[in-house]
Amino acid sequence: MSKPLVVFDKVQKHFGSFVAVKELDFEIREGEFLAIMGPSGCGKTTTLRMLAGLEAPSIGEIRLNDRVMNDVAPHERDTPLVWQSLALFPFLTARENVEFGLKMRGVDKAERKERALKWLDKMGILEFENRHISTLSGGQKQRVALARSLVMEPQILLLDEPLSALDAHLVIRMQAVLTDLQRELGITFVYVTHSQSEAFAMADRVIIMGKGEIAQIGTPKDIYRAPANQFVAEFVGRNNILSGKVASVDGNTARITTASGDFTVPTNEVLLIEGHKASFVISADLVHITLEEPEAGNKAYCKLISEEFVGSMVTLFLEDAQGHEFKVQMQERELSKIDPHSGDEIWLSWDTQSAHVLNEG
Amino acid sequence: MSSTPERRPNLYALTWRLPIIFWQFIFFVGPVLFMVAMSFFLVKNYRMTEAFEFVNWTRMLTRGFFWDSYWYTVFIASVSTVCAMCIAFPAAFTLAFRASESTRRWAIFLLIIPFFTSYLVRTFSWFVILSESGVVNAMLGYIGLGPYTMLNTNFGTLVGYMTLTLPLVVILQTVTMANIDKTLVEAARNLGCSPLRTIWQVIIPLSKTGLIIAAIFCFILSFGDFVAPFYLGGSQEPTLPILILDTTKSGQQWPRAAVVAIMMMLTLFAIAFTGIALAYRKGRGAK
Repeated sequence: MSKPLVVFDKVQKHFGSFVAVKELDFEIREGEFLAIMGPSGCGKTTTLRMLAGLEAPSIGEIRLNDRVMNDVAPHERDTPLVWQSLALFPFLTARENVEFGLKMRGVDKAERKERALKWLDKMGILEFENRHISTLSGGQKQRVALARSLVMEPQILLLDEPLSALDAHLVIRMQAVLTDLQRELGITFVYVTHSQSEAFAMADRVIIMGKGEIAQIGTPKDIYRAPANQFVAEFVGRNNILSGKVASVDGNTARITTASGDFTVPTNEVLLIEGHKASFVISADLVHITLEEPEAGNKAYCKLISEEFVGSMVTLFLEDAQGHEFKVQMQERELSKIDPHSGDEIWLSWDTQSAHVLNEG
Repeated sequence: MSSTPERRPNLYALTWRLPIIFWQFIFFVGPVLFMVAMSFFLVKNYRMTEAFEFVNWTRMLTRGFFWDSYWYTVFIASVSTVCAMCIAFPAAFTLAFRASESTRRWAIFLLIIPFFTSYLVRTFSWFVILSESGVVNAMLGYIGLGPYTMLNTNFGTLVGYMTLTLPLVVILQTVTMANIDKTLVEAARNLGCSPLRTIWQVIIPLSKTGLIIAAIFCFILSFGDFVAPFYLGGSQEPTLPILILDTTKSGQQWPRAAVVAIMMMLTLFAIAFTGIALAYRKGRGAK
């Protein structure tokens, strides 16, 4: 489980004078579901393409099973990729598409057919075996694309935003299909996406990339609760970020003065120096609301600006007297006990331990 | 349109359509009908007289020389098509996949330039290059080869056909292949397909429609061309266009020339129809 399958060793990628990937230094463990997430242009797709051999690193080494892959041609690798556009061959039937890779590897006709049918069956699309790609629905095409890659029985499967073209309800279903497959097969999945919900729902570990660099690597929970820096905190969203200066440090806690008031935060392992700038973040779902002023602790008095309902979850958008925006996320039934309206003024509070100090940079 | 309660002809649209309809009738449908009628006329004392006799058809279609010429023309036009498609492919492939967008634009522009000058002039310039004392033989002479006879041979005819068709075939192939979704090529590589094999497995199937249309154009142009076989091929074995010329000259046999022309049209019609049907065969070919 913990043995590295892939190692990116100080990898850089330049396109002319444009640096797509600044420096990548990380490992992909055998059998893990790794998501690489970031805004567009952060270098996540380039990273995946380098792993598939479709781009060569400008500097550094990529090793797969301890073998340096830099000069290995894409067709000599065993790193099937599922494209965002799926890239299914329109001139072939569903089964011929699945057989394609086996045919290229010289597998004989009978075995090819047997293995292709097995995978079409596994993906629940056996009945579309002889259909042409253009006659299949989005979800069916998705399954053909997965079968086409998985029939190769690779050690590692690369996925480049494969669900971004699907309807929302299909995305949820395909997420389940993907996680089930990954657990069952035990192979490594590397999944590139800009969607936090996809990455957090499926991945064991998530890499957040920004501007060609890794901003943070960790489990979804780590990244959500303890973003390493402001970029991650902002990218992950639904966070309250407060910036100010360190007023005092007292053992495991520190006092930070911000425009919105003074707050106590746990220092964790971050080195805080009095008088220096510091930022901390509180997840929107860890903030409580009350009509009366809380007795002590971290609190802010805010005006409710708007609400956003997503199913049973509500996000409140508030603003304090200084115009700093706060977000609070809670269950709808919790909210209905207080039932605030836009323009109402309410108190926000949170436990000291809910705050997380950011590493600047 | 059909749902409007009062259906009156749209005069505006009709006004603009009329010239082209007129033109087609006067210069295409009319002459074709006249040619078909003419193929049943008779020639008496070097004068064409109206009649309805099948004698021209039986004379031409039962004669060996007609069929010799017919199959020779089909053969040489097919060879021309195969040659043009094969010579053009590497160039078009490079332009479509290796060249940058701007290089491709310039190349297509340059490939259009040959059409600025008369095809006849371009054909005559081959005399200087291909004759016994021409440029090619002079150069071969330096390394002790030749001289080779290149004019008045099938080779000469083919050089002429290439002059006529190659630029067009390269353009059509390039445009077709440049429009291929490059991720499909990458997907093939990703699934273990070597670069050379990708051409057969992915690029040709994806550009099938465009390639077949390029081949049809090449065949049609070669099949109907008079200049290349006449001036560069020496017309010892007459192609059908030369046969038409010969027939009209010898004894003013316009009706028999009409028979040859109709046979050519039918052949091209069949070729174009089959080709297009093949190119757009359902489920196959680029979307």
